Amino acid sequence: MTTAMKEQMDSASVQNPGTRETMLSLRNCSLSFGNVPVLDKVSLDVYRNEFISILGPSGCGKSTTLRLMLRLLSPEAGGEVAYSSPDLSLGMVFQKPVLMPWLSALQNVMLPLELGEKKFSKGEARDKAESALRLVGLQDYLNHFPHQLSGGMQQRAAIARALAADPTVLLMDEPFGALDELTREKLNFELLRLWESPETSLSSIVMVTHSIHESALLSDRVVMMSPRPAGVTDIIPVALPSPREAGMEELPEFHRTVKELRKRVKHL
Amino acid sequence: MTAMTARIKDSLYPVTFALGFLLLWELAVRLLSVPMYLLPAPTQVVSAIDGSLWSHTLVTLGESLTGFILANILGLATAVIFVHSKPIEKGMFPLAIALKTTPLVALAPLLVVWMGTGYTSKVIASMLICFFPILVNSVKGLKAIEYEAWELFSTYKGTKSEIFWKLRLPTSLPYIFSALKISTSLAIVGAIVGEFVGANKGLGYVVLVSSYHMDTPVMFSAIIASALCGLLLFWCIGLLEKKVIFWTRSEDL
Ligand SMILES: Nc1ncnc2c1ncn2[C@@H]1O[C@H](COP(=O)(O)OP(=O)(O)O)[C@@H](O)[C@H]1O
Ligand SMILES: [Mg+2]
Repeated sequence: MTTAMKEQMDSASVQNPGTRETMLSLRNCSLSFGNVPVLDKVSLDVYRNEFISILGPSGCGKSTTLRLMLRLLSPEAGGEVAYSSPDLSLGMVFQKPVLMPWLSALQNVMLPLELGEKKFSKGEARDKAESALRLVGLQDYLNHFPHQLSGGMQQRAAIARALAADPTVLLMDEPFGALDELTREKLNFELLRLWESPETSLSSIVMVTHSIHESALLSDRVVMMSPRPAGVTDIIPVALPSPREAGMEELPEFHRTVKELRKRVKHL
Repeated sequence: MTAMTARIKDSLYPVTFALGFLLLWELAVRLLSVPMYLLPAPTQVVSAIDGSLWSHTLVTLGESLTGFILANILGLATAVIFVHSKPIEKGMFPLAIALKTTPLVALAPLLVVWMGTGYTSKVIASMLICFFPILVNSVKGLKAIEYEAWELFSTYKGTKSEIFWKLRLPTSLPYIFSALKISTSLAIVGAIVGEFVGANKGLGYVVLVSSYHMDTPVMFSAIIASALCGLLLFWCIGLLEKKVIFWTRSEDL
């Protein structure tokens, strides 16, 4: 997608939220592991240019929902995972960085570009990886190995790896859950900046989080999931102005959203 | 520089103790006039060393090294097959365990009957004893991939062979190296057991023949040579491991 197109879509969706383009949707997806039902008729649309947070008690099936979106798992009969186009490009950031310890940061980011049907030459992959690492601020650590990077830097490299493949939809599973509060805050805003940046093809982000604060601050909509077998109980829009910036935690709307989310969490 | 001097200092401890031990041994044998056929003094062992010890050592080292290399290639290949085929793994793993529980000492005469007293029977003995550690560790290592890493490869449409070469094999390297280190001493044991049963050269042969003649100094020299062979192999593998697996520091031996 070109930048011009992206901007066009931006304004279209802002002006006309009723007819927003769906990038990916789960329809009536149920799933059990053995005879343990985990997801119960989950339906969720991910629109173009939106940031969704998924909030729910641990073990309720949030990661499983993301795996459905990635088509690593299939829903039971009656359910469907639909993409806006067959070649919709998805990226995934796991809770752990999942970097290969024997590869340098650069090689790690190049890895997905060199898998499957090779779409890129070695040189192209290298260029893409380098610019992705630059986007996350790791341009000086290209040849460092994971064990030489801090936890925050490792997770940044994992984000760069997801970005390098030019995803349209980025799925993130508690991406900053293992990081300290300060690093986490910093990476949250870096993520928003990347999402808004014309340099990435990124259109939508779905992030699993267990932080009410984080979900209110970052997302356009917060999806609440109930305990197992989980379904989508509520979708709460966040009416904070975009682009989101540091300091918006002071706004009354932020507090209203947080309060609302807290209330619903209690009801789960 | 300081790291260097620290390392030299560190190695001074065992060297000092070894020298002290040898000195005590020498003094004890001389002062108590222990007969040589029971316990020779270190100097007597040293004077028993001649060129033939060197050539016998090379024979044993050659047999064990060949067995070691072949067993590890074969074991790793078997592990790869096991990891990719559950039925084969289920069918053959009990056989591998049966092979492991059969004492090599009991098998060695059979090997000599089948393959003669030459090089081959010792290589096979060495292979038999080295095969199990590499098989078990490689199977474990090849399966030790993180679930998320597998998902990552699947998300980006990685093929089975890409998952093997870029994920399974590198993940298994620490496991493979720990098997290699275990097998270094086993390889020598295999060769020497083979030589005990039927051979006309090698350290096992030297030990056996010198025991017939009560030539304890020669026996000692052969025992020490075999220990040094094991140590040498272990040290080489350790060095290689440090180069290959640079991302973890393994403290365990
Ligand atoms: N591969 C699996 N096999 C069996 N059970 C699983 C598997 N993956 C997840 N589960 C179970 O499904 C439930 C939901 O898991 P998950 O989606 O990881 O929860 P969450 O991400 O919300 O914490 C948990 O009870 C978990 O134990
Ligand atoms: Mg989870």
